[in-house]
Amino acid sequence: MSENRALQRAHILANHILRSPPPLPSNLSLAREVCLQYSPPELSESFGGFDAKEMRRLLDGHNTEDRDWLYGLMMQSNLFNRKERGGKLFVSPDYNQTMEQQREITMRRIWYLLEKGVYRGWLTDSGPEAELRKLALLEVCGIYDHSLSIKLGVHFFLWGNAVKFFGTKRHHEKWLKNTEDYVVKGCFAMTELGHGSNVRGIETVTTYDPRTGEFVINTPCESAQKYWIGGAAKHATHTIVFSQLDINGTNQGVHAFIAQIRDEDGNICPNIRIADCGHKIGLNGVDNGRIWFDNLRIPRENLLNSVADVSPDGEYVSAIKDPDQRFGAFMAPLTSGRVTIASSAIYSAKVGLAIALRYSLSRRAFSVKANGPEVLLLDYPSHQRRLLPLLAKTYAMSFAANDLKMIYVKRTPETNKAIHVVSSGLKAVLTWHNMRTLQECREAVGGQGVKTENLVGQLKGEFDVQTTFEGDNNVLMQQVSKALFAEYVSCKKRNKPFKGLRLEHMNSARPVLPTQLSSSTLRCSQFQKNVFCLRERDLLERFTSEVAQLQGRGESRESSFLVNHELAEDLGKAFTEKAILQTVLDAEAKLPTGSLKDVLGLVRSMYALISIEEDPSFLRYGYLSRDNVGDVRREVSKLCGELRPHALALVTSFGIPDAFLGPIAFNWVEANAWSSV
Amino acid sequence: MASQSQVLVEDKSSVRILTLNRPKQMNALCSNMITRLLQLFLAYEEDPNVKLVILKGQGRAFCAGGDVRPVVGDIVQGKWRLGADFFSDQYSLNYVMATYSKVQISILNGIVMGGGAGVSIHGRFRIATEKTVFAMPETALGLFPDVGASYFLSRLPGFFGEYVGLTGARLDGAEILACGLATHFVPSTRLTALEEDLCRVGSSDPVTFAETILNAYTQHPHLKQHSAYHRLHVIDRCFSRKTVEEIISTLEKEAIEEPNEWISATIRALEKASPSSLKISLRSIREGRYQGVGQCLIREFRMVCHVMKGEISKDLGYRAVVIEKDKNPKWEPRGLEEMKDNMVEQYFKRMDEEKGWEDLKLPPRKALPSSIISKL
Repeated sequence: MSENRALQRAHILANHILRSPPPLPSNLSLAREVCLQYSPPELSESFGGFDAKEMRRLLDGHNTEDRDWLYGLMMQSNLFNRKERGGKLFVSPDYNQTMEQQREITMRRIWYLLEKGVYRGWLTDSGPEAELRKLALLEVCGIYDHSLSIKLGVHFFLWGNAVKFFGTKRHHEKWLKNTEDYVVKGCFAMTELGHGSNVRGIETVTTYDPRTGEFVINTPCESAQKYWIGGAAKHATHTIVFSQLDINGTNQGVHAFIAQIRDEDGNICPNIRIADCGHKIGLNGVDNGRIWFDNLRIPRENLLNSVADVSPDGEYVSAIKDPDQRFGAFMAPLTSGRVTIASSAIYSAKVGLAIALRYSLSRRAFSVKANGPEVLLLDYPSHQRRLLPLLAKTYAMSFAANDLKMIYVKRTPETNKAIHVVSSGLKAVLTWHNMRTLQECREAVGGQGVKTENLVGQLKGEFDVQTTFEGDNNVLMQQVSKALFAEYVSCKKRNKPFKGLRLEHMNSARPVLPTQLSSSTLRCSQFQKNVFCLRERDLLERFTSEVAQLQGRGESRESSFLVNHELAEDLGKAFTEKAILQTVLDAEAKLPTGSLKDVLGLVRSMYALISIEEDPSFLRYGYLSRDNVGDVRREVSKLCGELRPHALALVTSFGIPDAFLGPIAFNWVEANAWSSV
Repeated sequence: MASQSQVLVEDKSSVRILTLNRPKQMNALCSNMITRLLQLFLAYEEDPNVKLVILKGQGRAFCAGGDVRPVVGDIVQGKWRLGADFFSDQYSLNYVMATYSKVQISILNGIVMGGGAGVSIHGRFRIATEKTVFAMPETALGLFPDVGASYFLSRLPGFFGEYVGLTGARLDGAEILACGLATHFVPSTRLTALEEDLCRVGSSDPVTFAETILNAYTQHPHLKQHSAYHRLHVIDRCFSRKTVEEIISTLEKEAIEEPNEWISATIRALEKASPSSLKISLRSIREGRYQGVGQCLIREFRMVCHVMKGEISKDLGYRAVVIEKDKNPKWEPRGLEEMKDNMVEQYFKRMDEEKGWEDLKLPPRKALPSSIISKL
């Protein structure tokens, strides 16, 4: 018996070692079931709901045809790395290129677009129409590649606008046309190793030499080296230098100068040292550099003198006596950077969502019933919950970005402060939203998301810096709260009604929310507005009273702000989210009754309710009860189901051509077939 | 029975050779021929015995286009809706070819214009010869490049498609090979031998088989010295502009800097063409760049209905009926500046006010992956 068992055991072991397959049941068919087939979501999804073209016009807001023209210019040129995958044309940068190659190709793309007249009037034309065209085209460049739009942004919006806004006629005549034609390549040296968001603390020093009529610029210590200067490492010929101006031993504060850093042949000028910032986690098509100035002499005329000037004999003259105000006047034009960053962040989120949602409408996983068909990703409520609220937020923020652009291009001296506050809040909230959306989209497409050709993963690295440059997001949000604080205090002190900074709602009675929240209440625009206003109002009152209390105990205003950073953060968010909601409501109000208005209503409700769901302030400060927030959560889930049928049409309405999305957004089976290896 | 003789069918084991046979009309496609071709193509797709479909033309033309004379007659009598049926059938045929699961080989040994391009370029293989003359002449007729041209023209290198579509420029065999409209070039004297070899298709994969045979026959002809294809740089510079007006003014600037016959001819062609046609054609090609072939055909169908209805411009009927002998067409609107953006916009809208009018209904296709992808 035991011998028999030993034999049997030996037999089994032998089978393991030799890996002989188990015997097949005789009735098992060896024929494979039909392979997975890619089915384009267009075939299964209904498009009956609303007109995607109309929605696209609404979302892009302006210059739709100029945008399409530029998309076409890029698709038709081999410089934009055309490649065919799964029978479709794609254009997106080859992120496997070295940093040097990426920088070179980015510059060549810039030349190509120059030749096509894309930048016509970017600096030499004025007025809202010209500015909107410029913003639209820059956005399209950013959809292709963030490096491309940043390199253009530095040249036109930082260097070019600095000349335009800080300079006077003599600078305009000399530089603007040449900048538009890329005869000169500009950069913008503000940030230093030791000072970023705190521009007033920079250490570069400029003195004036009346004997020669020249300014002398110096980098006095290592922390004063200019850092992250886009364009400086390779291509730029000129730079704006931000520096303390020292006149006869008196520091007149930060001023801007023009300095040449390379000659026409690209050689670095004397008295300038330049080093490379090196390889980055993204944006490697931009040549960020570091600059040191060693007694660099520049003509007196190179001071950008719209706010202050130095006479030939060395006397400092300025119409604005208060250095604080002078600094404010200097910084005002920089708003354009935040405007473009905010809108470009939203277009990046659109790319991510278009890819992830299209994939979720063609990829299946797991069957709910045994032997049943596998379920489409977007038919899982959990997948809807991950992506559709982000889609609604992207829609809402898209309207907010458009609104910001409109108030920016129609700016007047009176609106500057409001633009500063709104653009700070939106820049922070929209760029954070983009990063979060990209991460969710990356995860939602699974492993395919880590391939750079599918974009969603790569975009995280490319856009990450948006939360930092042109003002750290956290610092910007604090500035929003500080501005609201100042406005509140000043209105109370003068006993005047609130006017400006969108605080007018505080003149009327504090809104009262119903105790029971029905579905129709939750979707009512007035209710949503009331909730958002109540939160902002209450947080502002709390913040000001906390700060006042501390000040009463002898603390300085600044340190009272610091202690209350949590409230300040909540307030900044409340202000910005309310501003966003208002722009959706405005857009909705302009639409005639119909399917477009209906779907936008759903999107708006989703935006409002998910914002409530995600902010603990409502519970913390008791604006809503525990029952209320439970109702909000249920409604969000209901809205997911209602938005689900519109998902494809909603991302199609982004108006981003197929070629600018990744291959997984389309026939990913064919794109990965052996025949295409 | 006419349609039977207007499309000749030869059975060669697994191959079907279809010959467009209306040589006096340069094989212009009449409604009967279109219906017949559609029937045949759909039947062959179902027939497991058929592996290759060869399409060619009798006489010196492959096909000079759709036969629009009856349509113009209908328009003049106020019955443009009859014309709509003609275009609906034609575009459906174009769509079936673009999404065809079997191999279509078109032998373009002669004139290929308008509708002739529509029944060949969407197919898998297009053979050019030294006799090929290709053109999309619609803008000179008050029409626009249709039959899915907004799909295939927009996919040519750079802005060559805009050039071909707006000017109606004639291309020879070498040029259509170079730009990708043709896949192979075979001298006409070798066509008979080529056909015989293609008929030997056995049990192997028909695409690979046809490709191997065609590669063995194909030649690489030199572009003629004055070929427009040598001027891709100028074409890109000019035809990439956003509007027709800008295209013309850029061409004029080029002409001043470096005058030559080609550029004057190009400008002349644009000046002679219908202003409304030019503007809607440019917009159509630009939109086509972002659309699948099915979407392109649906849009073109909307456009052609507007053209026939003639609310904004009556250039199509006018030119064909009144001006044919005159050679000096009087377009309406007369100039580009009179053709405003909102008028262009009209052509791209659905005709919801028109009773019983519907968007083009594309025939359902089984082969899903290719159903949104043409083979160009």
